[in-house]
Amino acid sequence: MVNYIIRRLLLLPLVIFGVTIMIFGLMQLLSPYQLVSTYIRSPEELRNQDLDALVKKYHLDDPFYIRYGRWLNNLAHGNLGWSESANMTVNEAIASRFPATLELVLFAVIPVVFGGILLGSFCAVHHNDPYDHAARIFAIVGWSLPDFVFGLIVLMFFYGVLGWFPPGRLSTWADQIVMSKAFIRYTGMNTVDAILNGNWAVFWDAIRHLIAPTITLAYLWWAFIMRITRSSMLDVFNKDYVTTARAKGLPESVVIKKHVRRNALIPVATVAGLMVLGLLGGVVIIESVFDYKGIGLLTATAAQQLDYPTVLGTTMFYGMLLVIINLVVDILYAFIDPRVRLE
Amino acid sequence: MPDMHMRRNEGRKMATGATEAAIELRSTGESRNRSRGNPGTGDKEEVLLEVRGLKKYFPILGGLFRRPVGYARAVDGVDFYIRRGETLGLVGESGSGKTTAGMCILHLIEPTAGKIRFNRDGEFIEVNSRTVRSLRRSMQIIFQDPYSSLDPRMMVQDIIAEPLEAQGVRSRRERYERVEELLNAVGMSSQHMRRFPHEFSGGQRQRIGIARALALNPSLIVCDEPVSALDVSVQAQVLNLLDDLQERFGLTYLFIAHDLSVVQHVSDRVAVMYLGKIVEIADVEELFNNPRHPYTEALFSAIPVPDPDFQYKQIILEGDVPSPIDPPPGCNFHPRCRYARAICSKEEPVLREVGGDGHLAACHFADDLVLMGVWGPGIAQTG
Repeated sequence: MVNYIIRRLLLLPLVIFGVTIMIFGLMQLLSPYQLVSTYIRSPEELRNQDLDALVKKYHLDDPFYIRYGRWLNNLAHGNLGWSESANMTVNEAIASRFPATLELVLFAVIPVVFGGILLGSFCAVHHNDPYDHAARIFAIVGWSLPDFVFGLIVLMFFYGVLGWFPPGRLSTWADQIVMSKAFIRYTGMNTVDAILNGNWAVFWDAIRHLIAPTITLAYLWWAFIMRITRSSMLDVFNKDYVTTARAKGLPESVVIKKHVRRNALIPVATVAGLMVLGLLGGVVIIESVFDYKGIGLLTATAAQQLDYPTVLGTTMFYGMLLVIINLVVDILYAFIDPRVRLE
Repeated sequence: MPDMHMRRNEGRKMATGATEAAIELRSTGESRNRSRGNPGTGDKEEVLLEVRGLKKYFPILGGLFRRPVGYARAVDGVDFYIRRGETLGLVGESGSGKTTAGMCILHLIEPTAGKIRFNRDGEFIEVNSRTVRSLRRSMQIIFQDPYSSLDPRMMVQDIIAEPLEAQGVRSRRERYERVEELLNAVGMSSQHMRRFPHEFSGGQRQRIGIARALALNPSLIVCDEPVSALDVSVQAQVLNLLDDLQERFGLTYLFIAHDLSVVQHVSDRVAVMYLGKIVEIADVEELFNNPRHPYTEALFSAIPVPDPDFQYKQIILEGDVPSPIDPPPGCNFHPRCRYARAICSKEEPVLREVGGDGHLAACHFADDLVLMGVWGPGIAQTG
């Protein structure tokens, strides 16, 4: 088991190398004069600056391998460069933005997984009933709607019409409290920090801002988990060991919960791992729609401004998450399914 | 002619190969009639299970609103009984409804019509959705596929102990002690208790399945092709085990199979099913010697004889089994029957007594035809 984990973690540098070389490769499509735009904030600056000097200053005309080598060297020293779009170092930007995204994803994952599994097993038990059809239509709509469209609808309705759930991460007054010295930032996640600081007003304000993006993020993936659970359960229902369970004289509810659902969850676990990755990717768009300042919005803004150190840093961070989450899923898998051995 | 039949008889003895050899180690070559000489199983005439007019129609859904557009008549009016302590073999081709019948008896499938009555301590209880859970301790099933019939996520001890738990054995220690006992009874050791099903071979898994079925001390076990998924050598072991257990615990078996040589060895009586109906039922020797239904004859002629020089006329049935959705009129078997006459396509023959000693056959000409048994032509010719 430990050997397996170590071997999998050895893949990490390889993944990071692959991801970064791809991003660097893409940047080769841009000329040094396009890249230099990162360092220019306004049209006036553009008029007054000597672009050639800037290119020289930031070594933008160096060959590919020299620039990549320099970046790797910095990486080895734990330095990801300066993020012009966030106006801080890339390390700081990731460190300050990631907790926000993690908070959002965690808020979405819990209702998605539990709701999806419950609804999916409900549908499987009531196979081809009107309930089943209704839930499946609901799911197919969720799966088909692009997240930015659904996000805008949610924003329009709950903020524009009802005024309940505003965009952003916190109201201005709450933001001031959070930024103040008295408020200790334990985790960077507003809800958790608010509880730890005992500030319920901030807690409710953070929740109010989380609901709309959570709904948007959850709807799509909820449908996904529901459909997988449903079909997996229908599959297991036909297995002989379910008939065996009935022959043992177990009540039908026990047969469903203990024999059908637990076995049906094995493929759901795999999919749930993929889903967490999908959620992390999905936040790039959702955070942009709801102006939620997480790592997704950071990446989106940086990409728009050709802020390549930030894009490189965040993609590398995503690559790392990918490897780690896949590893966690594999380990979980061995716990769920006794037939799986990690070797 | 007599010579030929003699050889055919010899051939049959060899045909069963390993199965037979293994069984013959314990019993002599002759077909057994255990219900008659079996000690401790009570009155041989005591009926344990009675099935009357059992039907199972599966709806065929179609059209925009998924309404039934027809029914597949998997089991179409089946009557039989099983005596305490005996083994009733149920044979038939794939799709003849034998497994469905077995599942209906245990209410693992809800029958469409019919009465199933089970004799528990002298009192006949009708098996229905209300009584079935309490009857589970008296009636159990062994499945065909030992690979899919055990929950892959449960340890052996929990698989076997679960019925005990469901029937109210509260103490965990008591349950596991019983599991150990059961594992020993099926020839496995208690070391296997904490392993998962995937760690065992097919034969071992079938033993676990048998231990599970025995957990509640049932009197009737429906064996749904218990050995057809196993290697021949393992088949013999499992058949011997079933035999031992029957003697030891006074079990009654409904033995569903398509392998005639297996059925011949385990059964006291045999029922032959064709397209959802029982076409013939008789004591095993009587049926194999003296079949009275053309379908039974055709089945017997399909038993292979491992002698390359042996010449005999095999009866090849033409065509496929007709669809149970739209069975032929009159006798179900008439389109494939080489003895069919005009009446066969018009009138459905009833299952009636022919010969005596409980030999029933559903054929208009059961009294007139000379049919080949496994050991030669029937008594209609010799007598």
